[in-house]
Amino acid sequence: MPDLIEIAKGLLESKEVSFIIGYTKDRFGRVKPYIAKSVEDANNLMFDHHSIHNLAVYLTRLKIPENGRVGIVAKSCDIKAIIALIQENQIKREQVYIIGMNCSGVVTHSTDEWKKENIQIKCKYCADKAPMLYDAVAGTAEPFEQPDDTQEVLMQKLETMSSAERWDFWAKEFEKCIKCYACRQVCPMCYCEQCLAEKNQPQWITTSPTPAGNFSWNIIKAFHMAGRCVGCHECERACPMGIPLTLLTRKMGMVAGKEFNYRHGMAIDQPTLVGSYNFNDNEDFIK
Amino acid sequence: MKEFIINTDEIANLISSLPADKWDILAPAKDGKSFDYVLSSDKPIINSEAPPSKISFKEYFFPKSETLFYYKREANEISLTEPKFAEKKLLVLAAKPCDAASLPILSKVFNWDYKDEFFNKRVNNSVIIGLSCAYSDESCFCTSVGLDRNNTKGSDIFLTPFNDKQYVLSVVSDKGDSFVKEFLPNLTEFTGTKETKEFIDNKPFDYKKTKDWIAANFENKIWAETGEVCIGCAQCAFVCPTCHCFDIVDENCDLNCGRRIKNWDACQFGVFTKHASGHNPRNSQEKRYRQRVSHKFDYYYEKFGEVLCTGCGRCTRGCPAGIDIGEIVFSISNQ
Amino acid sequence: MAEEKFEPKVVAFVCNWCTYTGADLAGTSRLKQEPNARLIRVPCTGRIDPVFVIKAFESGADGVLISGCHPGDCHYNTGNFHARRRWTFFKELLNFVGIDSTRLHFSWVSASEGKKWVDVVNGVIDTVREQGPFLKYKEIKEHDFQEIEN
Repeated sequence: MPDLIEIAKGLLESKEVSFIIGYTKDRFGRVKPYIAKSVEDANNLMFDHHSIHNLAVYLTRLKIPENGRVGIVAKSCDIKAIIALIQENQIKREQVYIIGMNCSGVVTHSTDEWKKENIQIKCKYCADKAPMLYDAVAGTAEPFEQPDDTQEVLMQKLETMSSAERWDFWAKEFEKCIKCYACRQVCPMCYCEQCLAEKNQPQWITTSPTPAGNFSWNIIKAFHMAGRCVGCHECERACPMGIPLTLLTRKMGMVAGKEFNYRHGMAIDQPTLVGSYNFNDNEDFIK
Repeated sequence: MKEFIINTDEIANLISSLPADKWDILAPAKDGKSFDYVLSSDKPIINSEAPPSKISFKEYFFPKSETLFYYKREANEISLTEPKFAEKKLLVLAAKPCDAASLPILSKVFNWDYKDEFFNKRVNNSVIIGLSCAYSDESCFCTSVGLDRNNTKGSDIFLTPFNDKQYVLSVVSDKGDSFVKEFLPNLTEFTGTKETKEFIDNKPFDYKKTKDWIAANFENKIWAETGEVCIGCAQCAFVCPTCHCFDIVDENCDLNCGRRIKNWDACQFGVFTKHASGHNPRNSQEKRYRQRVSHKFDYYYEKFGEVLCTGCGRCTRGCPAGIDIGEIVFSISNQ
Repeated sequence: MAEEKFEPKVVAFVCNWCTYTGADLAGTSRLKQEPNARLIRVPCTGRIDPVFVIKAFESGADGVLISGCHPGDCHYNTGNFHARRRWTFFKELLNFVGIDSTRLHFSWVSASEGKKWVDVVNGVIDTVREQGPFLKYKEIKEHDFQEIEN
């Protein structure tokens, strides 16, 4: 199997793509996102279990040349985001050259060892470690011990709480929020040109990082992920205050699964969940 | 500089003896995996090897959200109310040198033309006990911005570990002196010599050289290279001990009352510079990132004679896109 | 706050074509309904952004009612179908963050269902009255204004 650098060099040399969104290591060996624009740049590309960033976010942040094509290094969870962006008409399939990576699970910090305790929970549910939509595949997946789903325990605990207890739980979590919007900026599905939080006529979401402002922001952010979140867990990784944001998106994902038997980002020709409807959708809750 | 010897029990006694109605205590505590400054911590961690907290303590001096005044309309009268200001004193225990040093830096901008009374009151009401730092990772670069692990800038009192149970307490400021006289009158004077470990500095850069380069390179590919990777959140600015931008907005409680409020803001947001007309002079992440670096290492230095950075490395450690400001400045300085 | 005198504030977001007209019919038919609901007319249930509901709670609503055309009756053909999907998520989300489902109600009321409107709105008001004031959201909003002089 050709390796990542070979594929990248070929693409950049033949000018099949204008640039490749990938990963590189900095001078201390920490992995970070990187845009390779030339054949020489391609030598800097790499992929390993520290390649945690979901690079699909750059597909809507960077300018993709009209009728042009860009390359992207993507693991299975990132590919779901790419598919979701195609489903939502943000990019065209032919605009991306997906270099799918066989992935062996990712860990959060550059200093974290690649072992069970550090591997992301999302990797446990990554049913298909092999890329599902790609133009080329690289890398080798090594078997790894599945992480424990510590979140599931918390999730079940929350479900059994009274609503007042749940409110108190979230009040404590949302109180930490400093409104840095890292959760929004890092999210591949948050591509609005103007976020609702930035609209001030009227001011729907209070800009203050106070309890009221934090509640409305976090509820609305989670709601906008309804049937759209692909479960990359980037929001929670980016949050400097350690708010368990993926509990909210996971809940939305559970509703999508239970009520509509739907998962976002699985097939490019599937209509989006909130963009479509069925005459027979459940309406037990409507009087 | 007066120096005393203090042991861990005496520190614990100090914390329990401060009257709770007059003093708040802010000290590092461990929350799961990471450290954080916690108010009224029962079990402060005085550990010079602890990594820096995930967010600096600036919110206790420059809150993330602060009311300037309340307004109320009755008939044709509009009345204003000042917010109540808690005149409580704040003791910061075991502040990292890179955090303590941020206060004199912030003071300059908050007292430059308009004197920010809220900030000044909070600083005047505080006593900072700094702690020598024995932590360093790839993101730290305090030595490059003129600080070091034993730097007392911004501290009123400074602790240096002497042995397992004892610290050398140095009185740095007048405020620190009167605090020691009032609350620690029975300390033994220290006459020996402190052992100071050498700091292994693996990434020195010359901030004066950096300033000149930035001033001469408003247009440079380095900004685009970083800007295209930057995703435009404000994590870096909000965890930073020296970033101080804020936004002033009005919020209403009902049709006839409300408040004017000051919230943290950051130059990395697209809306930060957006005009009412829709025009945005900093319309790309490249320009916004350039602003961040230029403000820290060029404009602030130009105006106040020091850089707007203490090298704590928080912005780098937490950056979701792995951007290392140290690396950028390092590469600028070594061009 | 005197508990026995508690009168709930209910905000009802209703679509222009069905429920609003239904409520109008209830009025012209002289059907008796409790006065606690504040109606906000929107073009279609599809127009009801969940942020409206959040704003209502933030502004002191004890309960919220959302009502529109029956499936198949939408003036814009599909607005209520899309809305229905969104509500499925939204009600679960609110429940998950601790806003009791007794605070948020949904109904289909057509232009001819003046009687149904009265039953629905009275039912919602009674449920909310029984639950008592919704203090949670009020508290966090008041937190920002606690120092204002009354």
